[in-house]
Amino acid sequence: MRQLFSLYLLMLMATTGLAAEQPTADRILDRYKQKRPDARQLAMYRLDWADSIETALERSRAEGRPVMLIVIHARYGDITSGHC
Amino acid sequence: MIDPAVIRQLQPFIVTAWHGHRNDADIPKPVREVWDWKFQVLGGMRQSNVDLAVLDPGGRVIHSFDAFDRFPGRPGESLAQYTARELQRGLGLLELDDLPLRQNPLALPDLDGKQGIRIFVTLKDDRLRAYQAPIVEVVALTPDDWKPLAYPRQSRQLEADSLHAWLSQVYPPGIMERTNPRTKEAYTISSTDGTLSLAPVKNNNGLRRAILSGMVRLHDEGGDGFSYRGQLEIVLTYPPGEDQPDSLRGLFEGTYPRRDRAQNRNRTIPLEAVFESIPGK
Repeated sequence: MRQLFSLYLLMLMATTGLAAEQPTADRILDRYKQKRPDARQLAMYRLDWADSIETALERSRAEGRPVMLIVIHARYGDITSGHC
Repeated sequence: MIDPAVIRQLQPFIVTAWHGHRNDADIPKPVREVWDWKFQVLGGMRQSNVDLAVLDPGGRVIHSFDAFDRFPGRPGESLAQYTARELQRGLGLLELDDLPLRQNPLALPDLDGKQGIRIFVTLKDDRLRAYQAPIVEVVALTPDDWKPLAYPRQSRQLEADSLHAWLSQVYPPGIMERTNPRTKEAYTISSTDGTLSLAPVKNNNGLRRAILSGMVRLHDEGGDGFSYRGQLEIVLTYPPGEDQPDSLRGLFEGTYPRRDRAQNRNRTIPLEAVFESIPGK
């Protein structure tokens, strides 16, 4: 009986070491919420982007709105790639 | 573009961008107009390689200005104030009646309902505020891409390389020294290494969750041994009876080395990435 109990304890300790704790998961999720950029940091995504000059000009004519054109004199200046 | 004054000024506009060189074929007419003014009239003064132009609804360039004011008209004026002032000038020149007030909704890059991961990357470089604007990328994932993250009944290890599809987005923008000198393209992440742990969360009130954690090292395609690393910690949630997670939330917190040529020393800059699965739950 004692041997069975000792074996049970050993198994319990072994599995306890292999699983993660709920507070750790909660800590990570809290940190995710803290670090996720907020609306102010993501303000660029509040702009009304068109993915090309042609689309911007078509919409501009249809909607009677002006266009803000960003001209980047560079081969690697694709602002839509995210990693411009 | 994260300054509130600039964002406010830009609300009425449709915003777009174009990039290329003066010897490219088929340069759009508005771009040619901007460059004619910049290079022929201004004769090379006040030049950065970025210009902003205000176009009226007929596509005519009404006003253009260098994005980085080399000769500030007003001492002490910040770049954001300069930009907002020039935008206001452009709006005044448009002579449009009743531009409707707009409050555009926040529209992050998305996958139109497909499953994937959204990654926010920020380089915490205090020398150039622009680096601190988050990059947002989305990566579509197939069921095969999710397999390495199948629910762990017991803790197991997996190689970071099995998650390369989305971990490879963890690199900062605009690092000029990490671009291909021939193509001028930024080096992408060619390999991801590290051994990660995927462990079930116990005592979780009936929720099936797991934690993915470990040190990840990322190598770019520069071929000179350059790499950087950071700690990954992610919580995955699984529906009952399913192996594929339906939610992923977490972080990469690491450092990025840069050479400071002026002071002839290496700098180590905090690099952060935040991950979230989409569509969101």
